[in-house]
Amino acid sequence: MTSLLTVDHLGVHFSGLKALDDVSFSLEAGQVRAVIGPNGAGKTTLFNAISGYVRPTHGSVRLNGAEIAHSSPHSISARGLRRTFQNGGLFPALTVLENVMTGLHMQTEGNFIQILFGLRQARQAERDAAAKARRLLKLMKMDQMADIPASELSGGQQRIVEIIRTVASEPPLLLLDEPAVGLSPIARAQMMEIIKRLSGENGVGILLIEHAVELVMAAADRILVMAAGMRIAEGTPAEIRNDKTVLEAYLGHA
Amino acid sequence: MHTPAESRTAPRWIFWLLPILALAIPLATNPYTQFIINAMLIYTLVTLGFSVVIGNLGQLAFANTAFFGIGAYASAMAGNALGLPWLLTVPLAGLAGAAGGFLASAAALRGIRLYYLAIVTLAFGELMRWFYTHAGALTGGTDGLALDRGDIFGLQLNSDTVQFYIFLLLTTLLVAGTVNLLRSRLGRAIVAVRENEIATASLGIATSRIIVTAFVWSGFVVGIAGAMFALHTGRVFPESFGLTQLIINFAMVLVGGLGSVIGAVLGAVALTALPEYVRAFPGMEEIFFGVIVMVVLLVMPKGLASLLRRVSPIFHETHHRD
Repeated sequence: MTSLLTVDHLGVHFSGLKALDDVSFSLEAGQVRAVIGPNGAGKTTLFNAISGYVRPTHGSVRLNGAEIAHSSPHSISARGLRRTFQNGGLFPALTVLENVMTGLHMQTEGNFIQILFGLRQARQAERDAAAKARRLLKLMKMDQMADIPASELSGGQQRIVEIIRTVASEPPLLLLDEPAVGLSPIARAQMMEIIKRLSGENGVGILLIEHAVELVMAAADRILVMAAGMRIAEGTPAEIRNDKTVLEAYLGHA
Repeated sequence: MHTPAESRTAPRWIFWLLPILALAIPLATNPYTQFIINAMLIYTLVTLGFSVVIGNLGQLAFANTAFFGIGAYASAMAGNALGLPWLLTVPLAGLAGAAGGFLASAAALRGIRLYYLAIVTLAFGELMRWFYTHAGALTGGTDGLALDRGDIFGLQLNSDTVQFYIFLLLTTLLVAGTVNLLRSRLGRAIVAVRENEIATASLGIATSRIIVTAFVWSGFVVGIAGAMFALHTGRVFPESFGLTQLIINFAMVLVGGLGSVIGAVLGAVALTALPEYVRAFPGMEEIFFGVIVMVVLLVMPKGLASLLRRVSPIFHETHHRD
């Protein structure tokens, strides 16, 4: 059986510098895998290499068995691998609703000519997309915010809307880059709830970069620990908690 | 405080009210004012096309005047060399402008952005002007190319009133098409590229395709404006498509409101009328024009469209920056 995501000996080398070196792991549907490690460990490089923003120099990335390592970000996304961004990826001038509808772009019917002439198919597709976006916002209790520009949301709300936008197209695989950074304890708990719901109820495979240890330990099925671009440990939260190499990497013992 | 989007935007029929009311304009004009109003319709399209690229797509591309010239010369050359009636040169001018838009988008796709894109597209415009001046056999050189206006269905095309109704129809259709485009998923994607191109790609959207779409539509709209301009003035000159034209077009976009359709109309109307008023002060026209533009932008940095938005929420358009 092929895994949802298979990362095989993946490496990103820039003229001698190994930003990412020989990383392998797999991820199944409904599984949450956290990637942790000190700053500069190569976590975001790993995300960028998987999602097409950085071209890997070594190894392969397979999505349901199909190689995606050298595809462009938009075609990887169109195949069902979607991600969020560490610094927030919302479109500030668009409303919350429009942001979520942008996540539905590929599912919204209507070709250029139908759109230009305002034909019924295109208008109906717009209404359907808007209705679906509102439904998703309501599910996350964000429907009150639907018509305000995304720039007016708080940091926590922006993270939640970004996740709604990212999952709107129901991708089987989700990459979340520090979704809880800068969130209040309440928003953090809400975020954990969302992650658990997506993997548990919707069967989404989730790859998660996170610094908040309690969130990682509670939400992740498996953890990948990285340092200096390499994988230094892998296992269940319980295994990682007691791993000597991990403690050394974090505490700086030689 | 925040009403649902459906009630914030104007109902569809309101859009058609303005052109229907405009049908009566020739009853109240003399040949001079009719000529100016016809120019307003042309510049509405020029401004709109420009605004889609610099306002909505957020690319600092100044190839707009080049598209305008390409459309005007395409129309005049097709009329002269091929003997086509003016009306048939209109789609040709649109396609020629769209081809110009495609070329300009190629620069943006090659990663030429911001100031670099500005200078590359300015150079494109100057190159076209050089071509009009030096390809005398085709373009008539510095003397320009005269148009044999002819007639359609027995209506004399050199009549300003006939021109008005044709221009009103073309402008209304192209503005409607642009509104439809901007309100669709493509319009959202165009703004998304401006706001965060990397995140746009992460949603499965081929951003390069979106950039090409915006440029090509811009070129198409402005190219048709070029054909209208050729008919309007009866003769196309290289000098009509130089930097002065570009600066005035740019001012129209900003005075109206960057990325706003209503703004494009208002900016074009205001800055087409303004020179006629400052003409009362011979020798001082440019100074008056410049000072008025500066004052408007200082008082209303979001342009005239922001004034309307303050009056009523029905003038609210999606995707503008406020």
